[in-house]
Amino acid sequence: MASEKGSKLLFEVLGNVDTSNAGPRLGRIAIPGRKDFETPNFFAITSRGVTPHMTPDVVAAHTQFGGVHMALEDFIEKARKGTPPILTCPGPSILHRFTALPRSLVTLLAPRRSPAVTAPVGNSNTAVSIFTSTGFQSVSSKAYVSYMKTLRPDIAISLADVPYGSLPGTKRVAKMGDRTQLWLSELVNEMPEEQAVFAPILPIDFLDQSEYINYVADELADTVSGLAFYDSNVLPDIPATTTIVKLPRLSLDEPSSPAHILRQISLGMDIFTIPFIGFATDAGIALTFRFPRPLPSAETQTTNGTTLLPLGIDMWPSSHAHSLTPLSPSCTCYTCTSHHKAYIQHLLSAKEMLGWTLIQIHNHHIISTFFSSVRESIKNGAFERDCEEFARAYESELPEKSGQGPRVRGYHFKSEGPGEEKKNRAAWGNLGGEKQVGGELVPDEGADELEGKGFAEKIEA
Amino acid sequence: MVSPASMPSALTFELIARCSTTKARAALLELPRGPVQLPLFMPVATQASLKGLTPQQLEETGCRLCLNNTYHLGLKPGQEVLEKVGGAHKLQGWNHNILTDSGGFQMVSLLKLANITEEGVRFLSPHDGTPMLLTPEHSIALQNAIGSDIIMQLDDVLVTTSPDTKRMREAMERSVRWLDRCIAAHANPTRQNLFCIIQGGLDLEMRKQCCEEMVARDTPGIAIGGLSGGEAKADYCRVVNTCTSLLPELKPRYVMGIGYPEDLVVSVALGADMFDCVWPTRTARFGNAITKYGMLNLRHASYANDFGPVEEGCGCICCRTGEGSLGVTRAFVHHVAAKETVGAHLLTIHNVWYQLALMRSVRQAIMEDRFPTFLKQFFFDKHGGDKSKYPDWAVEALLTVGVDLMED
Ligand SMILES: [Zn+2]
Ligand SMILES: [Zn+2]
Repeated sequence: MASEKGSKLLFEVLGNVDTSNAGPRLGRIAIPGRKDFETPNFFAITSRGVTPHMTPDVVAAHTQFGGVHMALEDFIEKARKGTPPILTCPGPSILHRFTALPRSLVTLLAPRRSPAVTAPVGNSNTAVSIFTSTGFQSVSSKAYVSYMKTLRPDIAISLADVPYGSLPGTKRVAKMGDRTQLWLSELVNEMPEEQAVFAPILPIDFLDQSEYINYVADELADTVSGLAFYDSNVLPDIPATTTIVKLPRLSLDEPSSPAHILRQISLGMDIFTIPFIGFATDAGIALTFRFPRPLPSAETQTTNGTTLLPLGIDMWPSSHAHSLTPLSPSCTCYTCTSHHKAYIQHLLSAKEMLGWTLIQIHNHHIISTFFSSVRESIKNGAFERDCEEFARAYESELPEKSGQGPRVRGYHFKSEGPGEEKKNRAAWGNLGGEKQVGGELVPDEGADELEGKGFAEKIEA
Repeated sequence: MVSPASMPSALTFELIARCSTTKARAALLELPRGPVQLPLFMPVATQASLKGLTPQQLEETGCRLCLNNTYHLGLKPGQEVLEKVGGAHKLQGWNHNILTDSGGFQMVSLLKLANITEEGVRFLSPHDGTPMLLTPEHSIALQNAIGSDIIMQLDDVLVTTSPDTKRMREAMERSVRWLDRCIAAHANPTRQNLFCIIQGGLDLEMRKQCCEEMVARDTPGIAIGGLSGGEAKADYCRVVNTCTSLLPELKPRYVMGIGYPEDLVVSVALGADMFDCVWPTRTARFGNAITKYGMLNLRHASYANDFGPVEEGCGCICCRTGEGSLGVTRAFVHHVAAKETVGAHLLTIHNVWYQLALMRSVRQAIMEDRFPTFLKQFFFDKHGGDKSKYPDWAVEALLTVGVDLMED
């Protein structure tokens, strides 16, 4: 770990940097005061500064991810009436201090959540619309710069003119690059030199933002510390100048399956944010895939008459009620080494919050293991072959959800949910809206079942 | 009066110290899954889980004996699953001690159509209206399947405030008869400790008779039941005080359903050893932090910019300083309270720690024979030194055991 003071983010591409080819690559990120981590890798997504279901001590003890994605909109609902409390938090490392995040983890601060709720009002030339716990607001570029100056995340994503929701028309597209360029230049001009800033790449065709991207490549390649892709498909079109190629690439592209992650890695993506981890957890689905193939010991169960393995197990069905095996037999996470399926099924069925906590710990571990295997595969020059094998072994999408999610508290569920957007979203993905049904206290079984359980016996009336 | 042969026991009780003024005691209770120090507060993990805390986090609060509710485990996952899994410890990955209640209290209070007959608790299945019966034998069989280290007899529970003396006597006498049925039905007396439950409402004479009858059954431990049901605190104290005077010195005394800090310290002064309550964990969900200066609702706007710990000087992982601490602030709890479950988890950790730490400091004070001073400081802190705010019931109850909170 480097010292707290000193230079900003260092990214090192391991192996030969081939400027002609955008293929999978290995890298290492070093940020003063944080633990180094190797790429490809992922940042956990937070909600109001916490990884849902996991307290900071659980994160410290039972997870392996190197950093977290935080959204400014989760902290500034009080901006309309006064100063958001986080701005008065004593520093340094305000984001860590405010959220009790373990100091070894990297903080990445973006304007919006991932996924973000569509705002009814679009962005303007000077500001973007955000969705806070008290409703929609706008954040001007000026305000954004000022937040970043105070909060000093390890990585700041510059403000981008991303039109969540509908596809932008030609007129709008023309403005997107200009606005984003202006806001980026305002941020880098104002921030101290040691601040790592990632330049956003917009979710539109390269040609529609080529002026902006060329500006980044020509004018800011030495100033920005990385690129943040709202659409990974633009990556191959980025000018492959020596400096640009050496920048780390972050995906905000919201992959909906491991296959999507692999595809982005094959394009040369380095760091990911992965909303489907949380979707799976909330749906009670324990991820079980391994790269490139299941361990020999893995259950060879198949579904739908195919030989493809599911990517996860739905933990709701009562068929797990007697199972004393862990969620994933070879998994070394806290959940799998301390608890069995029977307990997790019981917790979901009893709507005990711990059920989601345990699945969340496991799911993040599965993804960490996945990335570590991917890095190994790239190192061995086997990545392409391994991806093909993975595709032959596993289904392409996650299982459908059957059970209810946790009791919905988050304000971010109150709207129509993540905007209908550009890409396919897994059918099970949207968890919005359900309420916990049924009281915990009254049996929902019939008398025969109660008697069968030994709970009580039937008598003559 | 019957005097059955001495029951097997799966615990040892060692009296370590006695307060020279009050009736408070410090003891060591050796249970099948390790020792616990009395006086003790037991957090309630109703459905084999404590409000989102991992068993490891619960262990880190120092808890070594928690509650599960038989009624809930009987419904989910049910006796059959419990038997296949190998009991509640294996189900929840908790290697320390568990106490279960009989399930009767929940049944009577949660199922509106429940009524009690000599056979057991009759109720209509809420699902299909079929009449059903929970007997003392069912309750014990279920608790045997759960495998808890302390199990409770099924008792005929009646709210203490019931004005019906005849019904109260019937409930008390029936509870004694049901105790005999529980003892006879208990399959694992050498591995699970059956506690009787003293009944008799607020009628001290009836409580005395119940104590005599039940003490004669020689169960490994004794609970004082039927309280915490809305009776006046002064009445509560009289009942506890009366019962503890009649109970054997060398057995643990458990007062069910008690958990407010003042109630705990006064009950200890009156000679009780063990307590449980859902309040500390339930209230965490509403953003409430228990502190020695009273309860703070961290959802209140005044905490939005408060970057102090939840409670200064608290040793829980949220509040303590130094290596391995989280540095959770009131502002952060305010930020996530009611929006992310993590907020409730953090306060649950703090509140459970507070309760356990309170009892540890009570025990320390008893061992150093300075419990009366401890009590004075406790009430002073709680009420900001304003004696006019001290609750009358506590002042009166403590006077009966030789402590005058009002003197300087
Ligand atoms: Zn696992
Ligand atoms: Zn604390």
